[in-house]
Amino acid sequence: MGDRAEFSPQTVSVLAALCEEPSAWQHGYALARQTGLKSGTLYPILIRLADRGLVEACWQEEAIPGRPRRHLYRLTVDGALSAATALAKAELAEAEPARGMVRPGIGDSPRPGRRATAPAVP
Amino acid sequence: MSRLGPVPAAAGRRALRLLPAARRDWAEAVWAEAHEVPAGWPRLAWRAGGVLLIVKEGQMVRRFGILSLGAAAVAAAAWAAWPKSSVPLIHGSADQGDVIITLTLLAGLSLLTRRLLGPPDNRPARRVRVGCYAAILAIMPAKAVTDMFVGAAPHGGIDLHTFDALYDNGPLPAPGSVSGGPDWGGEIFILFITACYVAAFLVLTARRAKVAPATLAIGARAGLALGLVMYLVDPLGGGKLASDPWLHGSAADPLVALAWVLLFGAPMVAGALAAGRCPLADDPGRASKQRAWQGVAAGLVSSGVGALTVTALGFGTTALMLKSAWVRGWLYHGQHLTASAVYGRELYASGGMAFYAVICIIFPIIGLIMSLSGSGYANVTGPQPGGGPGGPNGPGEPEPMPDPPAGGRLADAGVLAAAGALTTLRGG
Repeated sequence: MGDRAEFSPQTVSVLAALCEEPSAWQHGYALARQTGLKSGTLYPILIRLADRGLVEACWQEEAIPGRPRRHLYRLTVDGALSAATALAKAELAEAEPARGMVRPGIGDSPRPGRRATAPAVP
Repeated sequence: MSRLGPVPAAAGRRALRLLPAARRDWAEAVWAEAHEVPAGWPRLAWRAGGVLLIVKEGQMVRRFGILSLGAAAVAAAAWAAWPKSSVPLIHGSADQGDVIITLTLLAGLSLLTRRLLGPPDNRPARRVRVGCYAAILAIMPAKAVTDMFVGAAPHGGIDLHTFDALYDNGPLPAPGSVSGGPDWGGEIFILFITACYVAAFLVLTARRAKVAPATLAIGARAGLALGLVMYLVDPLGGGKLASDPWLHGSAADPLVALAWVLLFGAPMVAGALAAGRCPLADDPGRASKQRAWQGVAAGLVSSGVGALTVTALGFGTTALMLKSAWVRGWLYHGQHLTASAVYGRELYASGGMAFYAVICIIFPIIGLIMSLSGSGYANVTGPQPGGGPGGPNGPGEPEPMPDPPAGGRLADAGVLAAAGALTTLRGG
């Protein structure tokens, strides 16, 4: 489970939204607003995460009169760890292209086949 | 919009039934959450997402595809077996009756078994069931073709004399006429055998019959081997004149010997293997019954699959031989046959189809007896309940695993710790 750390960007956004308040139960609509995902995308992601034991779900205990009970979600311990790893990787991946775009200094022209890297900043 | 709102909501609630039980909560969650979404298009879009979820999770596309494929197969088989306008009325009515009753049996028994014993709940069960239906649907038009051929007297010449000599042996019928008419007793008997086979396969593959997937897989494989070898021995029924086109009727042929070995050995080995793999109850009496049931089920599946395979292939080959010259060329490759000899063989093969009815009765009886002996063997030599592998004196069960730390569910403290790790990672 933990080996398969490759999540889609949409799944990472759901994990990030759940990570905002890891111990709190969250609603589907709130997650949809946070992530900008539509219900047809959000819920299949939540189902897969729940199948993998990364998210747990339950029904709201007390119903509000005139409204149906809501389904609630939060990360499990495994889910929180996977989310942490996935978010760190995502941030790293975002940082990589930015570093690659730094123009190398004169005399530092990279050899063909070698990736240009920014000089270390103290 | 406010008038449209209740319609998708009601449709969505009904559509929940299409989902597997484990997924209904999720679709209900989408519907419940719709009350929080602003009314109008956003709510409609939210519910449309719920419909999409039902389509995806209910595997509707796959289900629709399978249903369409099944309906197309049934329609094609019924169309091929349905008598054409050139068929004399008395034969036509028999063929029509065959088609209608066979399809009613397939649909009716399937619905009845589903209600009483539940649907198949594993892949081997579904495959065995589909194979049984496919074989019966293939036999239906092939039987109609052979029935018509054997029932219609030739238009004249040497064929009419061959017909009289081989089939009727009485006064020559009027050329081009119908010889007698259908054998109503035989038709009813074949429909009865069909009903027995369909019922037996439906019961053995139903959820509450508790036949293990491995049992069905072992039985089906053994049955396919038996059926294929039997078909190679007798591809055109039991008539010696038409049959064994490449064995030349030699009883000492290795293929014939293999067929005999498989006829008795396949159900016995399948029964022993299935009984040996059966998970055992602690109670020795119950364990013995479980083994016997799995063994018998494997034997019945193997002999049933074998009988259906050889019957479908045999009927199919005979019907194709009557319709296509290249099949005759393939069957009697290298043999120079006169037109009269070809007609004689076709007529003899068509008339020898009763051989398959005998196979369909004898095979399950042999399968039952041999699988009982196979499961009995497994009961004596296999692992015993409570004794671990190797019988009561064998090594005992492994030590039980220690209990896991209390609570498999999420602990808030654990989440907070993980969140701390996340913060550290993001901060670093």
